[in-house]
Amino acid sequence: MKAMNRRKLITVSAVLAAVSLAVTAVPAQAAEVGVTSTGIKLGMTLPMTGTASLGYNKIPGAAKAYFDYLNANGGINGRKVTLVVKDDRYVPTEAVAKTNELILKDKVMALLAPLGTANVKAVAASVNPGRRGVPVLFVNTGFSGFADAKKYPTTYAVLPSYIMEAKIMGQYIKENFAGKKIGLLYQDDDFGSDALAGFKTAGVTFAVKVPYASGSQGAAAAAGWITKFKAAEADVVILFGVSSATSAMLGVAAQLKYAPQWMLGSVGGDATTIKLTGVPAGVLYNAIGFSPVPATTDMKDEYVKLFSDIYAKAVPGSTFDLNVLLGMNSAFMAAQALKAAGPNPTRKSLMAAIDSKGSTFANSALVPLGYSKTSHVGLTGYWVGKYSPTGDLSPVGGTYVTYTTDSGAGAVVKSTYVRPAMPAKGLPN
Amino acid sequence: MHKKQTRDIFLFILGGVVLYFISGMVDELRVYQGASIAVYVIAISSIILLTGYSGQVSLGHGALMAVGAYAAAVARIELNLPIILCFVVAVLAAAIGGALLGAAAARLSGPYLAGTTLALAIGLPSLANQFSVLGGEQGLLFDVGFPPLSLGEEFTQYKWFFWIAGLGALISIWIVKNILGSRYGRTWRAIRGNEVAAQLSGINIARSKILAFTISAGIAGLAGALLSMTIGTVSPSAFPLALSFSLLTGAVISGITTLPGAMIGAVVLVAIPEVADVVAHRIGSSEAVTTNLPGFLVSALLILTVLFVPNGPVEQHRARKAKHLALKK
Repeated sequence: MKAMNRRKLITVSAVLAAVSLAVTAVPAQAAEVGVTSTGIKLGMTLPMTGTASLGYNKIPGAAKAYFDYLNANGGINGRKVTLVVKDDRYVPTEAVAKTNELILKDKVMALLAPLGTANVKAVAASVNPGRRGVPVLFVNTGFSGFADAKKYPTTYAVLPSYIMEAKIMGQYIKENFAGKKIGLLYQDDDFGSDALAGFKTAGVTFAVKVPYASGSQGAAAAAGWITKFKAAEADVVILFGVSSATSAMLGVAAQLKYAPQWMLGSVGGDATTIKLTGVPAGVLYNAIGFSPVPATTDMKDEYVKLFSDIYAKAVPGSTFDLNVLLGMNSAFMAAQALKAAGPNPTRKSLMAAIDSKGSTFANSALVPLGYSKTSHVGLTGYWVGKYSPTGDLSPVGGTYVTYTTDSGAGAVVKSTYVRPAMPAKGLPN
Repeated sequence: MHKKQTRDIFLFILGGVVLYFISGMVDELRVYQGASIAVYVIAISSIILLTGYSGQVSLGHGALMAVGAYAAAVARIELNLPIILCFVVAVLAAAIGGALLGAAAARLSGPYLAGTTLALAIGLPSLANQFSVLGGEQGLLFDVGFPPLSLGEEFTQYKWFFWIAGLGALISIWIVKNILGSRYGRTWRAIRGNEVAAQLSGINIARSKILAFTISAGIAGLAGALLSMTIGTVSPSAFPLALSFSLLTGAVISGITTLPGAMIGAVVLVAIPEVADVVAHRIGSSEAVTTNLPGFLVSALLILTVLFVPNGPVEQHRARKAKHLALKK
């Protein structure tokens, strides 16, 4: 009896082993990593906790809101798009570890909108998506280097570069503030040196330039900055720093009743984030700001209307701000790239689609995209607006005046770009 | 004694062989995590040496790691030194930094020392922004190069990192173990136990403390250089205050006075986020819970360790065994 049992056991095990072998030996569907017959998996790393997460932690919710909307309307050729989000706390070591998890464990098809220059650089060096052939779509940084298709063959920029922004600011100053004394606050690193390069190309001369070290920005430092701007009698003060620097500066300026003509760079110019730090909205009034996408309060804009409706349903009670709009815009562009990548998208066909059709992808921005076979440059300009008494950036006189340029020596020109109409229901066509 | 050393060498070599086979059996993600664990083992062992044995608290080991990492990267980029020498430079640079810090630390103790090292952890990494040779906020690339072709085409970059970091960990642990077992280790323990008594028995307190800081910093520097190897870059944000804290957490969870425990702390630090991920998915919780769970788990584990196994699991086990033996007799 015992022997029988043992024999039975062996037979059963053998059969089981054979079956399981056979099952695993069935070639996985000839599809791409992260793509099945029913779904497409994308991954994102960004700061969700910690000091740097303020404002940015709304991006995954925004992107997911769009993908959920897309999935409810048929997805990409029937495939549902899912987004795996990992918190990197804005630390490069974490960004590398989490990106490794996304690629090796979660097996995502592509990375979407990873955030932060140092982080994306570390990921490029260690994880090396370029060598692995993993697309890195629409990185969330304005560092112009990521548009270099030779150095980062699978990485696509989306935000206009800091150099472009400084050049456009320079052009605006020439047209509107000729003869005025200009002051500049900038971050003392690559972010700032990109800005300086742009201003130099634009031919701006500053009455005073105040650098600050990243991490040093705070109320005490801001009081020191103001002393310098006051001493130089600056009429226009450009704040080309991160949100925390802008907030510190505006907060202290409000207390000291210091009110030059402010000009805010787009990185530190998101009104919702500034107001969250307790800066009264009134301080922003009449400040000049720059953005590539429409004003987030412009409900006449078809994208803003649709995106804010989708977002309000998905994340009730959360303010629709610039981070949300940009997050949804990147998700929308990713959807179009996936659709354009053919009935059975692969990593290769996805990148080929952006190279060949990317510059024509519908999206909410009011400036053209620069993608081509040789260029991974994203948006190429800004519109100039003023902040309202409630702190919302809107176009002067209600019409968007857009400028476009490049990250090199090219001229800044008023853009004649007319944004194509939004595809029906905001779904990729 | 001699016999014991031969046995130890044999054990370490065996450890190396086991690691070698493990690296061939697991997938790339595990190999990468293995490299991270090796880096943490080195960093935690440097804290165990300093805090557990010489009794000096450091909240600034992240900064010393940064010194090592930057030294290695600069040596690689500016002087184009072979990679092994870059690691030597990292150890030396961090050790010099540690000696300077130690000179100040020898005059301080308790909260004052903690405060000084804390200031270092906050301030030092952002100093890099002031010197263009250090690459500012975005940092420098630190490229140790591809694995030698003789290892085969299939040999991945991460496996190469794991080998280097694993070897580094084995060597560091070996060195730390021997130092702790030597006259210096006994001197440090004497100081930790009772400074006055140690002084009375002829120990030069200041010199011993500085030496402990120097050696600990050198090892931390190696950990820093290896950390930046695994992420391919060196930048100020890679060495945040949180790194110094999690190393100390790892050391406490390991048992601050037991070197073998370093492994436990390192595994916990690397595994917790993944465990949290699994838990969060299992219970299908909201994003807010998912993102804060790792921090919560580490903190909870730290509190539980302090409450229930204040000397760490290894020491606890050892004590229980000793008690058991004593009872038997």
